[in-house]
Amino acid sequence: MSASVPTEQVPELAAEPRPTGQRRAGSYGAYLRRRLLQFVVVVFIGINITYVITHATPIDPVEQTISAATSFGSTSPEAIATMREALRALYGTGDNPVEQYVRFWRRVAVGDFGPSLSAFPTPVSVLVGRALPWTAGLLVVSTAISWVLGNLLGGLAGYYRNSTTLKLTGILAMAVHPIPYYIIAFVLLIVFGYLWPVLPISDAYDQGMRPGLTLDFVLSMVRHGFLPVLSLVMAGIGGWFIGMRSLVSNVVTEDYTLYAELAGVPRGKILRSYVMRNAIAPQITGLAMSLGAIFNGAIITEQVFGYPGVGSLLVAAVHAGDYSLVIGVTTVSIVAVSAAVLIVDLLHPLLDPRVRAG
Amino acid sequence: MLRIIRDLWRTNWEFAAGTALLLVVLVVAGLSFFSPYPPLDVYVVAPDMPPGGEFLLGTTSRGQDLFWQLTVALRNTLLFGVIVAAISRVIALLVGLFAGYLGGAGDRLLMLFNDTFIVLPIFPILVLFYFVMRDRMSWTLLALVTACLGWAYDARLIRSVAMSVKTREFTTHSVFSGMTATQIVLREHLPYVLPVLFSTTMNNINWSIGLEVTLSVLGFTDVNTPTIGGMIYWANQHTALVSGIWWWIAFPVLAVVVLFIGLFLLAISMNEYIDPRSRLARLGNTG
Amino acid sequence: MDIRRRSLLATPIALAAARAGAQTTSQPTPSGLPPRHETLILENPEGTIRNAGWFNIWTINAGGSYTGLQQLAMDTLWYLDPEHGLDGIWENALAAEPPIYNADFTEMTVKLRPGIFWSDGVEFTADDVVYTVQTQVKNTAMRWGGLLALNVKEVSAPDPRTVVFKLSRVNSRFHALFTVRFNAVWMMPKHVFEKAGDPIRFDFNKPVSLGAYVLHSYDPEGKRFTWQLRDDWQRTTLGRFGKPGPRYVSYIDPGPPDKRVIAQLNHDLDVIHDVAPEGMFTLARQSKTLKTWFPKFPYAHPDPTLPALIFNLQNPMFADRRVRWALALLIDIKAVSMASYRGAATISAIGIPPTGTHPEDYHKPMQEWLAAYEVDTGKRKIRPYDPTLGKQIADMVRPANPDVPTDPALIARAFGYGWWKPDAQAATELLEAAGFSKRGSAWYLPDGKPFTVRVVVEGESRPVMTRAGTMIAQNWRQFGIDARTEVAQGAAMLDRRNAGDFETLIAWSVETYGGHPDLAYFLDSWHSQYVAAPGKPQAPRNYQRWANPELDAIIEKIRRISFDDPKVVEYGRDYVKLAVREMPTIPLMAYNVFTAMDETYWTGYPTIEDPYTDPVPNWGNSRYMMVRLKQRQA
Repeated sequence: MSASVPTEQVPELAAEPRPTGQRRAGSYGAYLRRRLLQFVVVVFIGINITYVITHATPIDPVEQTISAATSFGSTSPEAIATMREALRALYGTGDNPVEQYVRFWRRVAVGDFGPSLSAFPTPVSVLVGRALPWTAGLLVVSTAISWVLGNLLGGLAGYYRNSTTLKLTGILAMAVHPIPYYIIAFVLLIVFGYLWPVLPISDAYDQGMRPGLTLDFVLSMVRHGFLPVLSLVMAGIGGWFIGMRSLVSNVVTEDYTLYAELAGVPRGKILRSYVMRNAIAPQITGLAMSLGAIFNGAIITEQVFGYPGVGSLLVAAVHAGDYSLVIGVTTVSIVAVSAAVLIVDLLHPLLDPRVRAG
Repeated sequence: MLRIIRDLWRTNWEFAAGTALLLVVLVVAGLSFFSPYPPLDVYVVAPDMPPGGEFLLGTTSRGQDLFWQLTVALRNTLLFGVIVAAISRVIALLVGLFAGYLGGAGDRLLMLFNDTFIVLPIFPILVLFYFVMRDRMSWTLLALVTACLGWAYDARLIRSVAMSVKTREFTTHSVFSGMTATQIVLREHLPYVLPVLFSTTMNNINWSIGLEVTLSVLGFTDVNTPTIGGMIYWANQHTALVSGIWWWIAFPVLAVVVLFIGLFLLAISMNEYIDPRSRLARLGNTG
Repeated sequence: MDIRRRSLLATPIALAAARAGAQTTSQPTPSGLPPRHETLILENPEGTIRNAGWFNIWTINAGGSYTGLQQLAMDTLWYLDPEHGLDGIWENALAAEPPIYNADFTEMTVKLRPGIFWSDGVEFTADDVVYTVQTQVKNTAMRWGGLLALNVKEVSAPDPRTVVFKLSRVNSRFHALFTVRFNAVWMMPKHVFEKAGDPIRFDFNKPVSLGAYVLHSYDPEGKRFTWQLRDDWQRTTLGRFGKPGPRYVSYIDPGPPDKRVIAQLNHDLDVIHDVAPEGMFTLARQSKTLKTWFPKFPYAHPDPTLPALIFNLQNPMFADRRVRWALALLIDIKAVSMASYRGAATISAIGIPPTGTHPEDYHKPMQEWLAAYEVDTGKRKIRPYDPTLGKQIADMVRPANPDVPTDPALIARAFGYGWWKPDAQAATELLEAAGFSKRGSAWYLPDGKPFTVRVVVEGESRPVMTRAGTMIAQNWRQFGIDARTEVAQGAAMLDRRNAGDFETLIAWSVETYGGHPDLAYFLDSWHSQYVAAPGKPQAPRNYQRWANPELDAIIEKIRRISFDDPKVVEYGRDYVKLAVREMPTIPLMAYNVFTAMDETYWTGYPTIEDPYTDPVPNWGNSRYMMVRLKQRQA
């Protein structure tokens, strides 16, 4: 659920993202430099926040491991003291804070977050690496579908103002748009898990299947991914629809559109080459800005559908008190989202020359 | 001001619908003060009774009257949303107004800081925060943290308005007459920003309540205080759906959906009103 | 409660289940999985294993343990059943006979059973035992490293069938380390580990089994582990009892509780580890093939642990035992039972779980003593025990569950005997005698501060206990004490419990064998020598931090006699009487596990009528089920 107001509703914002006062034409290089700086700053601040918060926890992973090992079976207090010493040495939690911080950054720089404390000694990067492709796949597919479909339908709705079907679609979009990701996922779960169980509601593929590029496996993946993707698309499409519709209805009143219509250019061509192309620009900015929110939605959707991505991993890590894994997942999320935003920002000027100015 | 509201009510169906929905929710939440049962108590009535008869919306597996629980839950959830919105408005206003007015290097610096918070995925950080705070996490603390993470998008909007206002004549007049930057920002620019502020407040409340529901459902908040998310959490704990106690899930979800749609309609109708082109277009269409 | 009114949604669920059920036989098994009718599918309460390819159970927090690994692939010297056992509660597994101690319990000799082979064909010998012990003594970060390092001075194998332990201190219960009550020190294959380098970093994939099953396949995402019966199953300790029925056994993660119920209704899950009471009631209503421990209400299996309201005795508020007694007399156990288990609870007023053989050794014989027990409130003497409370609960639930037993012996077994009857007047007198005062409707401590109590509960991780804690806090609140629950989940709970960072806590500090009356399993750790200073971590299990010289005397007496000495029961009863008098914790009920078994594909599950083991599937002892389960002829 993002704090999103469709960008076109505030006309000044529609003309963004130029900072004011600078119109150095054609300086893609300067733009690039600024965006890279942004990326570095975000990642740095984000990782530091993560580190500080995590290390403010009073949770001691050694004590947790001991408790996990001694919850069943006979125990002896002295044996536990011995175990405590040994584990402390093994996990390396005995050093002073500054050393730990320096060591942390040195390792993060090469992507090493140390061993997971609830799946010792498997490295955190291995666990995250296993989960990340599922989340990435989910996000790319659902974002692409909702952005393209949303903008397409919105553009049509904005242009053909008198179509009843499009007006109804509009109302539907407005009704679904404000509903948070969790509720949509939950309702889909109820419908397809309890009332009409035709689709699988957990895992990424059928049990017993070997992952590989076989048709069977791909089909199984599609069946299992259907509900999570549907959930994310339903949650996201409304925003793009409403935004595009507004943008288009503004562009339609512009002079050049009227001129084209008077000049007898076919409606379809006007829609494609004049209206849509000019209206789409703020939507690309909007895409970059909402990637963070979409990621949040993906996390909770994964949890509801038992989809083995980073969202499920994060929740499991929190419940297990595994702070290496929690840091790892959070850091990777921050880097991934920032990188995605960077890519969108870098591609933007190639699509819209106005942006390149300053 | 009242005239604007009256105009909006008459001409803009979204505004009317939104206000109506919101009023329903507020009334229900207000009823919570008349609840005959202490909200934290369990097993005060027969559990698992379906809606109708003595129990308007049925009872839960924990032996609570669903209707009265819902009123308290709505009140708490709304309160949370409003507090987050209030705090984050203050931050967004300060950052947005000053960035818009200052321009140049100050603006760029503030925007760099701002965009960091737009890009950061908030949910993992909130989860992280819960991970650390655990049971010491109170609602006030959660509201504070959420507010500190949710102002960035709206600050940008406010900044745009501030930028356009800055170029107007009255600003130059104020500068020449010796007003300080703070005075100009607060006295002259603020009124122009208010409509945007209003619509972003609605959206922010939606966002923060959505976050509360999500966190509560995962059990990452204090689930003993009744909130909408907390009710869904307990229903899941008691496998309500599978046991056939569908009303325990349906009514909280319905209530929160009504709330969201109401707030959203208010937000977009406000936005439309702000933008003169769309306001004219609407008047043209209804004329 | 009218069943018909309940389920508007139950009809669609039942329809869905019926539809799916009809498909079961014709649905093709996904490639890679063995045939359904030859597979027993159980729930793994660990959920999804993050580190699926890790089978080295001797490291901590590394991979899954209840994935079938400890239940089917591992073996050790002895098994002690929490119920009545296949052939008596004591089983000599890898050992051929019970342990042989010397006179002063400083030496233990074990004679091993011949003819047992690892799944890769190598014979099991005393060298494996010696290797297991020595490796963990050297690496104390391993699961049993600390315990073994503490107790074992020297271990040797004078011949391939004999192991001799020289203990570093007197320990009459050293053998408990190798006796499976849920788990124990499992044997490591020397011939595999000695080639593997650092034993802490070796993943032991593919595991070499000593038990009757080998790993067939597993899901790399960690949701399923399938085991296959060994062709040479007669060369394992389980083989003595006959050929195990299931050829394949899968342990899976079926998801949250409602998905588990649906899975069993669709016959995709044979054994559910645990569900909420409501889930169990739904299954009882809708499944024609359900099998549970108690055939009717309350269905659940009482595990040999005793959830209780645990006081932090180092907190000055609870120093006076009159305060503790007052709080106990304010609890309405009927309401707590209804709130937590919907009435399907087995209550116990004494500090022993009402399960296994304990009711015969402790609960039943002590009823007279309990009924006659007197408490001096300061103003009068009362007899707080009500022996009919178990029956009252049964009567309360019978209208909604007509199959609740009426036979008093069955009721006592299923619901428990009696408990303390709520007596607000007595509680008032006791508190006033302890210096507390009531002003208006609220209570105050002797120093004038308001009497507030926080009850720490585990929230979502243990919903039933959380409900119990909520009800107890409510009982106290209605009396005028400012009581609230506080949620501490998972890691936070462990930290707070061990650090003594709580006022009161719903947890268990009593765990027993179930099938054997010896209490040393938990009682030994309650000796005052182990009580930690405030703020320091307290080792399990004396979380209440109770230090009492009389208790120490009892414990020391137990230490000096052997495990099987009948005096064990007598000393146990002394402990019970002391605990009743001092009330260091308020015992509530047995930890009932709602294990649900489906008879569509398999029959022969353990029940109260045939209690050959504990059906809860993550117990090492549950391997006996494999021997008794038979395929249902389709």
